[in-house]
Amino acid sequence: MATQPESSNTFFSSPSKETPIIKLEGITKSFPGVKALDNINLEIYRGTVHALLGENGAGKSTLVKILYGIYTPDKGQIYIDGKPVRIASPMDAIKLGIVMVSQSPVIIDRLTVEENIVLGLEKFNMFAPTRRVRSKIIEVSKTVGVKIDTTTEVWKLSYTQKQLVEIVRGLLLGARVLLLDEAITYLPLEEKSRFYKFIRQFANEGGTVIIITHKIPEAMDVADYITVLRRGKVVGTVPVKNTSIEEIRKMMFGEKSSEITYERLPPGNPGEVLLQIEDLWVKGDFGDYAVRGTSLKVRKGEVVGIAGVAGNGQKELIQAVMRLRHVDKGKIIFENVDITHKTTHFLRLNGVGYIPDLPAKYGVSIENTILENIAIVPTFSSEIINWKRIRALALKMIKEYEVKTPGPETPVKFLSGGNIMKVLVARELTAATKMLVAYNPTRALDEATAIKVRKIIKSKVINENIAALIASEDLDEIFQLSDTIVVMNSGKIVGVFPAEKAKREEVEHLMVM
Amino acid sequence: MLEAIIGLIAGMSSVFLAYYLAALGHAIVEKSGVLNLAIDGVFVLSVAVAYAQAVYTRNNLLISILTAMIVAAIFGMLLAFFVTKFPISHGATGLSMMFLGYGLASLVGLPARNIQGSIEGLEVGYTIDVHSPVWVIVYIAIILIGLGALFLINKTKIGAAIRAAGEDPAAAEALGVNVLMVRLFAGALGFALIGLGGAIFELSYVQVWSEGTGIGHGWLAFAVSLSAGRNPILLILSSSVFAGLVKYMTAIQAMYNIPQDLAKMLPFVAAILAMVIFMATPLRRRLAPPKSLGKIYFREEKERSEKYKKNCFVLDSSFFSEVDLS
Ligand SMILES: Nc1ncnc2c1ncn2[C@@H]1O[C@H](COP(=O)(O)OP(=O)(O)OP(=O)(O)O)[C@@H](O)[C@H]1O
Ligand SMILES: [Mg+2]
Repeated sequence: MATQPESSNTFFSSPSKETPIIKLEGITKSFPGVKALDNINLEIYRGTVHALLGENGAGKSTLVKILYGIYTPDKGQIYIDGKPVRIASPMDAIKLGIVMVSQSPVIIDRLTVEENIVLGLEKFNMFAPTRRVRSKIIEVSKTVGVKIDTTTEVWKLSYTQKQLVEIVRGLLLGARVLLLDEAITYLPLEEKSRFYKFIRQFANEGGTVIIITHKIPEAMDVADYITVLRRGKVVGTVPVKNTSIEEIRKMMFGEKSSEITYERLPPGNPGEVLLQIEDLWVKGDFGDYAVRGTSLKVRKGEVVGIAGVAGNGQKELIQAVMRLRHVDKGKIIFENVDITHKTTHFLRLNGVGYIPDLPAKYGVSIENTILENIAIVPTFSSEIINWKRIRALALKMIKEYEVKTPGPETPVKFLSGGNIMKVLVARELTAATKMLVAYNPTRALDEATAIKVRKIIKSKVINENIAALIASEDLDEIFQLSDTIVVMNSGKIVGVFPAEKAKREEVEHLMVM
Repeated sequence: MLEAIIGLIAGMSSVFLAYYLAALGHAIVEKSGVLNLAIDGVFVLSVAVAYAQAVYTRNNLLISILTAMIVAAIFGMLLAFFVTKFPISHGATGLSMMFLGYGLASLVGLPARNIQGSIEGLEVGYTIDVHSPVWVIVYIAIILIGLGALFLINKTKIGAAIRAAGEDPAAAEALGVNVLMVRLFAGALGFALIGLGGAIFELSYVQVWSEGTGIGHGWLAFAVSLSAGRNPILLILSSSVFAGLVKYMTAIQAMYNIPQDLAKMLPFVAAILAMVIFMATPLRRRLAPPKSLGKIYFREEKERSEKYKKNCFVLDSSFFSEVDLS
C-alpha cells in the first residue's frame, strides 16, 4: 500500500525498486478485548522521515513497540533490509539498528545520564567505569544540538530533556532507524526547529525516522511520507508533497475532521473573583524559588491561560494552588477563604478539578481500573463507595469522551496514552463544578479530541460559570481557550493580556525573553 | 583511659567485620531489587557450614570460609533466580529459604559437633589478639572494602546495572540490561559476603557451635544495612554501632542495670532511629530504597502459553513508566 519514494525526494533517495529498510507484512496484534493492529502492511524507505498519524488508540504506539521488540506480533512478518527478522526484545531491535524514544521516556530516574546510556553499550565491559562514556555522549549531543550534563541524575531533567537523552543514547547505539513516539512534542520552539533540522540531516545521511505526533502541521513540515492508521488498520500512505492538512485530517478522523478549528472559542463572561493569588513564593524541586512573587486573579466565567516555556514556574504555581506544594510566602484565596494552609482534599470537596502534568504518574493510578480511578476522588464518593453510581458515571464519561476501552473495569494501564488522558480529563472536568486547574490539559490527545476538550472546558466556563486556570506549553491552546493570557518567565508574570488584544509574537517574545 | 578505649575498639573488630560484610552483602542484593528475607537463614547456615568445615579440616580457616561463602552464594543465586524468572513473591521465597537455612544448619552442624566432641583438644577458629596489630588491619580492610564496594556500585557499569535492576527492571531491560544475569551476579556476590560474614562471626567470635548459633544476627545485619540506607560507607558507621552494642551488651546491661529483653531490643531501636533521622534530612533522596525492591518482575514472553499469559498479564511498564517532575 505504501507509495514508493520518488528519486528526487531526498538526498539519499532511491530508485523505486529499492528494498525498503522496514517492511511489515500482515502484522496483527490483539490484546484482551481489542485488536490493536489488524493486518498491517507497510513499507518504509531508507533516508526518509515517515510520520505515523492517527487518532487516540489507533495503534501507533503498538506498531512501533512491535518494531522495538516490546511486543511480539500475533501474526505477520517483519523484514529489515529485505530479510525476515524476529524482534523479541529491545536488545534484538538495537542490534538491528532500531531505537525507540517513547511517549514516556524509558529511563531510570535515580541513575545519571551517563549511567543510563552506558547500560546499552556493548563495547563497554561490565566492570568499565561509567565515566568513560562521557566524552562520547558530549560529542553526539552536539550533533543533535543539545547540551547535556552527563553526571546529572535523570530525575532532575525535564520531560523533554529526558527524551533528548534517549535520542542521544539511540545514536550512540548506532541507530539507523529512530522511532519517535510523541517525543519532543513540548520542546520549546527554537529547540524544536533545531531538532527537526537534525532529523532532516539524519535522514539525509541515510538514516530513517518514524515519527508519531498529534501535531499534523509539524508532521507535514518534517516528514516525507505520512501513513495514517485508524482502528488498527492502515488508511493509506501519502507523500507529503502531494497532500494537504485537510486530506490528512479526513483520513484520520473521517467526518469529524470538519469540526477541527483553531479559531478563538467564544469569550466567557468574567464575574466576581474566585481565586486570588497574592505575592506567592514557592520553591521548586531543587530548593530554589520557582515562583517568585506572583500575583494573579481568576474570575468566575473566565479562563486564565498561563503561557510559558516549560520550567518557568508554571508547574510549581499550579501545584501550590492545588495545595500540593509548600507556600513559602504569600497567600492563596479561594471563594474568600484563605486556603494557603488548607489541603487538596478541601479543594476537591469544594468543586475544584485538577489535571496535573505527567498525567500517567500524578493523574491516575495506572494499576487500577477506570472505575477505581473515578471512585477515589472525594468529589464522587465518600468513605463508602456507591459502585452503582460510579459505574453509571464511568459509562457516561466513556461515552462522552469516546474512551477506547473494553469496559470500565479495565485497568488504566491497558489504555493507549491518549485514552489514559481522556479518563483523567473526563473525571476532572466532571469534578470541576467551581474551578478547573490544569497543566497541559490536552497533552497526548489527538487533534479532534483536544479541540473537543477545549470546547467542553469553554462551555463549562460560559454555561456553568466556573473559573479555569490553565497553564499550557502549547500556544495554540492558550490562544484558543483563554479570556486572559498571562505570560510566565523565570517564576514571574511578565505580561497580562486580554485575549482579544494579545499578539502571538509579543507573547512568544515575552516567553523567551 | 585512651588505652581502655583502644582496647574496646580492638575487642570488637571481629564482630564489626562480620556485621559489616553481611550487611554490605545484603545491601548489594537489595540494590538489585531482590528483597532479601533469606538473610538470617543463610547467615545461620554459613555459621554452621564454616564450623563444620573447620572441624572436618582440622581448623583450615581458608577452606572453611570459602565453603561457607560458596554455599551462601548458591542460595543467593537461587533466590535471585526464583524472584526474577517467575512471578512469585519475594517475601515468601525469602522466608522459605530462611527456614531452609535454619534446617540445613542443624543438619550440617550436629554431626560436626559430635566429631569435635570425639576428638581431644580440637578447637576451631582464630581469635584476634587485641595486643597485636591484626585488629588494625581488620579496620583498614573494612575501609578498603567499603571504598571498593562504593566504586563498584556507583562508578561502574555493573553497578549501574544493579541499581537499574532495582529501580525499574522493565526499563532496565529496555535499556539493555540483562536483569536476570545482573541479579544472579548481585545475588552471588552479596550472599558470598553474607556467608563470609557468617563464617567470620563463627570462627573469630563465637568459636563453638550449638543448634541455633547465629540466629537473629542475620536480622541484625539486615537492620544494620537498612539503617545505613544500603550505603557502603555509612554501613561502616552503623555496623560499628551495632557491633559495639552486641559485643558489650552484657557489660552495658550490668553497668546500667537494664533488663535483658530491653537490652536485646536496643540495636533495633537504634536502627529505627537511624532511619527516622535520615528520612528527615536531605539524605532521604540518596538513601531511599530501590524503587522496585521486592516487586514482582515478570516479562511477557511469546513462548508462554496464551492462558498463562492472560493470567499474568504484565504490561510493558515502560510505556507508562513515570517521568519525574520536570
Ligand atoms: N498492553 C495492552 N493491553 C491491552 N490493551 C492494549 C495494550 N496496549 C495497547 N492496547 C490497546 O490497543 C489499542 C491501541 O493502542 P496504542 O497505544 O497503540 O494507541 P495509539 O495509537 O498509540 O494511541 P495514542 O495516540 O492514544 O497514544 C488501544 O485500544 C489500547 O487500549
Ligand atoms: Mg500512543
